[in-house]
Amino acid sequence: MDRFFQYLFDGLSVGAIYSLLALSIVVVFRGSGHLNFAQGEMAMFCAFVTWQLQDWGIPLWIATVLSMGFGFLMGAGSEYFLVRPVAKKSPYSVFVVTIALFLFLNSLASAIWGALPQEVMPSLFPDAPDDFLKLFGATWRYESIGVLVVALALMGLLFLLFSKTRFGLAMRGVASNPESSRLVGIRTSAILAASWGLAAALGALAGTLVAGRTGDVQPSLMFTFFVYAAAAATLGGLDSLVGAVISGLAIGVVENMAAGYAPGWIGQEMRLSVALLAIFVVLLSRPSGLFGSAKVERV
Amino acid sequence: MAGFRPLTIRENGAAHWAIRLAFLAAVAAYAVYIPTKTATGTVGQFTDAFLLIIPAMALNLVLGYTGLVSLGHSAFFGIGAYTTAILVQDHGWGHGLTFPAAAAVAFVVGCVVALPALRIKGTYLALVTLAVGVLFPTLVRWKKLEWLTGGSSGFDGVRYDELPELPLLGELKGRDGRAVFMYWLGLLLVVIVFLVCRGIVRSRVGRALIAVRDNETAAAVMGVNLAATKTLVFGFSAATCALAGSLSTARTGVVTPETTYLTLLGSIVFLLVMVVGGPASLWGPILGGLLYMWIDTTTRESSASGEGFIGWLFGWADTSPATMILGVALIVLMFVAPYGLVGLLRRLGRRFVVVVPAPVVAMSASERPPVASAAERQPAATSGGEEP
Repeated sequence: MDRFFQYLFDGLSVGAIYSLLALSIVVVFRGSGHLNFAQGEMAMFCAFVTWQLQDWGIPLWIATVLSMGFGFLMGAGSEYFLVRPVAKKSPYSVFVVTIALFLFLNSLASAIWGALPQEVMPSLFPDAPDDFLKLFGATWRYESIGVLVVALALMGLLFLLFSKTRFGLAMRGVASNPESSRLVGIRTSAILAASWGLAAALGALAGTLVAGRTGDVQPSLMFTFFVYAAAAATLGGLDSLVGAVISGLAIGVVENMAAGYAPGWIGQEMRLSVALLAIFVVLLSRPSGLFGSAKVERV
Repeated sequence: MAGFRPLTIRENGAAHWAIRLAFLAAVAAYAVYIPTKTATGTVGQFTDAFLLIIPAMALNLVLGYTGLVSLGHSAFFGIGAYTTAILVQDHGWGHGLTFPAAAAVAFVVGCVVALPALRIKGTYLALVTLAVGVLFPTLVRWKKLEWLTGGSSGFDGVRYDELPELPLLGELKGRDGRAVFMYWLGLLLVVIVFLVCRGIVRSRVGRALIAVRDNETAAAVMGVNLAATKTLVFGFSAATCALAGSLSTARTGVVTPETTYLTLLGSIVFLLVMVVGGPASLWGPILGGLLYMWIDTTTRESSASGEGFIGWLFGWADTSPATMILGVALIVLMFVAPYGLVGLLRRLGRRFVVVVPAPVVAMSASERPPVASAAERQPAATSGGEEP
């Protein structure tokens, strides 16, 4: 049982980060119907910004918040200046633009920060070797608890934003029917840019948390995390916020259990594959994800 | 250009054929010029481009014409590369025979991968195929399969065969000779794949594919067998893609889980090439592959030398800015040519030459069908003459 709780807890902690990034994918998808392939790289870039700010002497927590602000501007800016103008022209162009952003941000980050030795990133939480709690026989590191708590708290805030504020209402309106929303006076254009911004800000936090966990920042920081998050978002149903959170956590738990209980067959290298295979099977029985709304097509 | 009227020619008329033949002759002349007159490095770059063009053409069939997103084509490329390596190295096959074998293996795997596509659509399908693309490199690296794939070190130094004597190509010796031979082999594959794709697209099958893309339900109602169509086109596309993988192994003799285009990045590059060239057009992947290779090598060279405009602009950068420039170039391209290079060339070409369908005899001039102006979405109808 000790091992069970250990894997469960580790899985939840890393799953919380998947959920955060998956949420940002979902927020973008609900708003504009696009999959932003650069979401992970935006998060990575923001993690570098956090590192840079704290390196200049700004307290880490403030640096994180500033970096989330930077992320908001970056996300909103790319939607407004790059994605929107081409989205009108052809369906494939958005894909190319987000991939181009991916390449650009990745290369820009290596150009600015790359050649130095890997940047050491302090964690947002106490992470000394003896900073842990023994509970149910498992080791609960403060750092992992912190990641879980912060991620869950932010998700709570996000749900409040969506359900209780006028801005959230407008966002849901734009997601479900952009034309009618425009007719009742919602500024769809601003809302769309804001949802990309919000997504990138979430990503900025996810990036900083990942960097804090691994202890350094590098341009490939978010690559696997993006694959996991995209998987979580899809599994949850792409347009469901609850789905993204639950699937993110579930994927974290499943891959940790699989890697932990079958170290010979699965181990560290195959854990991603197991998670993806599981999703593959789920999607076969539920093609619109666990919580997604099935689309009815008219001929 | 006030008063300038584009030349109007009749579809399949003498002038149209003249333009087509001139275009083909120019392409053929250029294709012969490269291996005979240019340096080995340049020949290699074109072979690199062929390695992109073949998968892009394969992907075009699946995504451009049938509307099935695939991020898993890097896996099919990898299947080709590994099949050739395993058969040549461990089983002593000749290189030539491994190409059809690789295609056959990839065809079967492709058909299996296509099964989810019968139920799963759009972005969800993108994720399922992405899983395939991510799985492949981890699978070949897996310890339990090391006896077959060589684990993370893969195959290094797959045996080279003696080059066959071909009177047309002249004497091919040493490294340069190999490069030239691989160029011709690549070109041959490109031409074959192009002709087969052309045949498919212009036939009843091609119309079925487009019908599935445009409206699945309507296609099914009109009698298209959705399951068979999707499965077979996916399998065929996978088989085509594997040919490029085999070529890659035959050329370099090296395959590892990190070989170019074998990881997920490969899938993304194939998609880029296809979209940049022009989705759902026969010449699109070819133009896209050549342009991609050109941008890639130019930016790499000029940023490596650190000279000229690029060197001045990016002198501050720690690492090579090539990828950064590629990103910017792609964004600019999407603003200028949202339907890819083919779309752009068609638009420009129409200023000079307009191809109109031949009039149907029974109709009077006033009842003549309007000129197909939506040619960007219906490439097969008016391709050829406008492209050069």
